Formats: sequence, C-alpha cells, structure tokens
Amino acid sequence: MVEPNERFREAKAEWEKRRARYADKLVPRKNLSGLPVSTVYTVEHLEDQHLEEMPGVYPFSRGLYPDGYALTPWMQQMVFGYGTIEETRDKMEKMVAEGMEGYFGHKVFNVVYDVPCMYGVDADHPEAENNLGQCGVHMSTGDDYDELIRDWELETTNFSMITGDNCLPALALLVAAAERRGEDPAALHGNSMNWYPRIAVQDVPSWEPKWGYALMIDLIKWSARNAPHWNPANIFMYGLSEAGASPVEELAYGLAWGKSIIDAGLQAGLDPDEFIGRLSFQIGCTQSLFEEVAKFRAHRRMWAKICREAGATKPSNMHARVHVHTSGYVLTQQQLMNNNARITLQALAAVLGGVQSIHTCSYDEAVAVPTEESHRVALRTQQILMHEAGVRDVADPLGGSFYIEQLTDQMEEAAWELYEKVEASGGFLRGIETGEIKQAIDDSSYDYKQRVNSGETPVVGVNMYASDEPQDYEHFRIDESIEEKARNRLTGYRERRDEAEVERALDDLRDACEAFKAGERDLMPALIEAARRGVTNGEMMVPMREAFGWYVSE
Amino acid sequence: MADNQQIKVLLAKKKIDVHGRGSKLIARELQDAGMEVVYFRFGVADDIVDAAVQEDVDVVALSIMTSGHNQLARDLIPKLKEAGKDDVLVIMGGIIPEADYPTLDEAGVHRVFPPGLPGSAVAEYIEEHVGKLALP
Repeated sequence: MVEPNERFREAKAEWEKRRARYADKLVPRKNLSGLPVSTVYTVEHLEDQHLEEMPGVYPFSRGLYPDGYALTPWMQQMVFGYGTIEETRDKMEKMVAEGMEGYFGHKVFNVVYDVPCMYGVDADHPEAENNLGQCGVHMSTGDDYDELIRDWELETTNFSMITGDNCLPALALLVAAAERRGEDPAALHGNSMNWYPRIAVQDVPSWEPKWGYALMIDLIKWSARNAPHWNPANIFMYGLSEAGASPVEELAYGLAWGKSIIDAGLQAGLDPDEFIGRLSFQIGCTQSLFEEVAKFRAHRRMWAKICREAGATKPSNMHARVHVHTSGYVLTQQQLMNNNARITLQALAAVLGGVQSIHTCSYDEAVAVPTEESHRVALRTQQILMHEAGVRDVADPLGGSFYIEQLTDQMEEAAWELYEKVEASGGFLRGIETGEIKQAIDDSSYDYKQRVNSGETPVVGVNMYASDEPQDYEHFRIDESIEEKARNRLTGYRERRDEAEVERALDDLRDACEAFKAGERDLMPALIEAARRGVTNGEMMVPMREAFGWYVSE
Repeated sequence: MADNQQIKVLLAKKKIDVHGRGSKLIARELQDAGMEVVYFRFGVADDIVDAAVQEDVDVVALSIMTSGHNQLARDLIPKLKEAGKDDVLVIMGGIIPEADYPTLDEAGVHRVFPPGLPGSAVAEYIEEHVGKLALP
C-alpha cells in the first residue's frame, strides 16, 4: 500500500468532520456487477503495483500501445450488411466516403451476413423466405465474393465477416475469390468470427460441441499456416453481456471462453506463439461508465497473464485486442432519440478503456435495422469523440485515479474467482454441455429485469419520465424485391457453372468431412477446393450438417 | 375461461431468429404471474400452429428480433383459424417499429408490446383478454 502522509491525514479528519451530519443517511451503492461503490476514493486505495505500470508494457492494464491512440486512433468498425452484395457494395463505398477507417487509414468492412447465410441455407431454400438480406447481406456464391473484394487492395483492407455456422465456408469462398484475382491468401486481412462457443448463451442451433470446437480449431490452424494476418477467432464476450451477464461475469466467462480455445489449440498440436496472438475479442459496453473502463483495463491484464501461462512468449502474443460493440440491450424503444446519449457514453467508456476498435449502435436499433441517417450519426458520434473531444491525446487518461485503479483490481479479483470456478469444473466447453453458464447468465438477466421493473435500476423513458405520446420517426423499410433479386443472383450463378463438377465437388466434400471426423485430414483445404469448383455457402453446409450434427442447447 | 384454470401460453420465436434474452425473460415473468408457458423456438408458421393445437394453448405470444413480423402475422393468423383456434389470443413483442402496429392489428394480432416493459404488463393484458377475443 502507498503510505499516506501527515497532510493527508489532516485533510481526511477535516473531511470526516464535514460529512458527519449526513454520512449515515447516504445509501450504499453497488455497480452493475454488484461490487460496492464508495463515495470517495483516496491515496489509501492505491497499491504499489499501480505506480509500476506503463502503457504498452506487460501486463498492459494501461493499454496495448506505448502512446495509446496518438500514433493511430481506434478503428471505426461499423457493422453493416443489407440486401444482396450489390446493396452492400454501395454501402461499403459510402462508408469509405464518410471517413470510416481502420489503422493508418486502412479500410475496414465489418460485414454482417443475413440469418439464412449464417444458418447455412441459400436463397432458394424455403426456410430462407422472408429473411433474405433483412438483417445482413445475403452472400453465398463465388460471384458474390468476387464482388465483395472487387477493387479493394487486400493488403490494406480488412474484411470482418460476421458469420454463424457458415464461418468456415465463408472463409473458403473468400480465399477462392482472392485466388481468382491471382492473389495469394496470405495477403488477406480481416476476421473470422468463429463464434461456435456462443451456443453457451445464445439459443441458436449449431454443431455438436465436440465438432464445433474441432471446426473452430481447423480454421485457426489453416489461418496460422496460410494467412498469417487473418484473425481466425473472435471471443464474443458481447454475446455474453447482451444475454445478461454482468460486467464481471462477462470478464470471467469470456476469458474462460478464450482459455478453452487456447486449450483446444494446444491439444491439436499448435505452438502457443503460432496462434494465441491472433485471437481477439469483441466486448460489450453498457453506460456504467467507470465500471466499463475498469473492465477493459482488468481484461487486458488478465488475458496477458493467461496467455503467458499458456506458453506465449512474444509480448504482442499476450495482447487482448478488443473490438467494442455498444450495447443493443440497453437501448430503449421508448423516446428513441435518448439512445444517442447512451451510445455516446458507451463509446466514451470504450475509448477511455483503451480498446482497439468500436462499433457504435444506431439510436433506432431498438425498433429496426438502422436508416442511412441513424447509421451516419452513429459513425459521427465516434468521429466527434476522435477529433473534437481530445480523448485520444493521452494514453490511459484515467490511470492513477484512486477510484479506477481500485475498481480495476476489484473487477479483476471478482472475475478471477468466477473464472477459477469455471476452470475447476472442467472449463467453458463443459459449461456449454452442462448448461451451467447459460443458467447463471439467464439468472443475472432476470435479476436485472426485476431491478428495472421495481425501479431500483432507473431507465429513463421506461421506468421514469415515461410518456404515452406516440413517436414520429422514419424507420428503415425492407425492400421486398430484395428476395427476388437474391434468388435471381443464385439462379444466374448456377446456370453458368458446371453442375456435374459441382456434384463431384460435393461428393469429395462429403468424404472430406468423414475423413476430418476420423482425424485423418484438415477440413479447410477441402472447403476451399469446393469453393474453387463453384459450390455455394448453402451447398457446403449440407454435407457439414450431415457430418457434424445438430445441437440445440437448453 | 374459469378463474381457477391456469392460462396456457405458447411463447414462440420464428424460424431463423437470433438472440433469446427478451423471450426467455418474458417466459419467466409470465410463469411468475402464474401462467403455464410452453417455450417454443424456431418454428415456421405451420410449426407454431401445430404446437398451439397440440398444446391446446389459450395464448400465442410471438417474440421478434430480426424482423419479418408482418409476414409472419399474415401467414399465421389464417392458419390458426383454419386449425380451429379462432378464440386464441395472439400477441407479439420485441423489435417492431410502432409504424407497423396498425398493419399487425389489421392482420389480426390482438396486441403488440414494445421491449423493456415489465412482464406483469403483458400478464395483466392476457388475464384481462384471454378467451374474450376472437381472431378476425
């Protein structure tokens, strides 16, 4: 502990005198994670370790880079994707024109797929009807991927692909498109989400857990050896927090998720320095401002410790690289414009917490897919923070704050405790199988809702200052002709390809899936080969479903 | 319906929807209000009708996250009637623009709820209207 001096003791005695009249009337506060919050923090809360850290130096509590955002600011990675690749292509160009940039002016495209693609059905499948291109882009054929990358330089463009179960087929289709352009997949930059472990909390049917992890590792292994700049797995802590996890639970379960990938990779024979440094995170952010800042700081040093213990030796391989998606759950349909204030606060917390990349939600996401205008306002919110507010000038600007340092420690301690519990009972994968993680997070979600219902947790416009006045706003309207267009694109593609060759490719892929299950071969090369021969996203998923099962976690 | 009878609710999410926080919460809150909740996920309109008939529910509650609500209502309501469930109460909730409420009303949805309300508000509506409204 840092020793307080005599002048501090005098000041503290005076402070006690001045508050004596009302001090016992103050209601003790807790943060979202349930940790007690004092009204004042002092030098007594500083520990020696708080005086020993620098940004860019292990364990990275103060940030990954020595000068924070001074060299290059965070990446503005707005999620988008709508209609067919034609509509999405227009949007890409618009966003570039609006100044959406990654590191050093690189292009970043954070493209979300529609639910049929994620789930693995093509446009002509009956279950795709009424869902095509609605909440993401429908992208399934070689043509679609050629159009996705057309004219973008692979060396300076980041393609983040927000996939579901189609994660491996999507990367295979991208690789085949790069090859058609005569380029080496090693030039690819971007992300596969590889979110299989999200079935721990999200009620989506997916692969059986054993195969889900095997497929995830297969993609990681292929990337490590063929596309070294590709980020092959994203640890989706956002999914945990949106499902209801408190910030401490999000930390603990999220790090256990990450640890489960490390364990599976090591077990598959990968070298720690070969893959750990390419794992990255997407984390949630609520408007509990200081708690979130402390969460990001604690997260970096906890991950650094986990990676070092797992055998990573290069400091950059211990980096927790974080993309923040501001919370959708906390947005309210009531008094929609108020959401702009919430989004600004969340983005500010992310920046003060030193994250690498941000998606700001649009204020109208509580009612529909964003409009052009609301999406632009969300991007501009980041740009105002970046250029007007001065928040990128100083690395870890809250470092050394008595409160933030103390809170970072508390969050870390509480998260380790829960993390160790998960690890001791068999880790995150076992937590998926037993349903324990889902149960815990569902319970937290329920507790939070009860607190909102009772008014204990205030939500402006919902449980205070509510209004019956109808709202007048323009919401995004889905163009119903998109469905037809998506089906026509697919038909056109199929007419031009060699169907007999596709049949043979699918037979080969079926064999490859069986060989993969028997541990005889990797799967990514077989998927890439299928993509080269004209097989679509939905078609690749058929033999995969047959081989890797169908699992609904309850 | 008699006062002493437990109200039975089919809580359904359409096929290919994602995120379950809202629907799981409402399931639990309706149970808190003393109702029996059959939690049914990822059905197309036909599946939802089959489940409603099989479970002989009083209420069909549809939770929406990734849009498609207008189409679902247009498909579902006639099919419920065809299956003889004309007296079932149909409600919807979730990410639905207010501007679509009249369309849903026209399609025969009895009531649409915005997200974030206490489950008790939905429970009160059900208690008041169950068995008293017919499908158009």
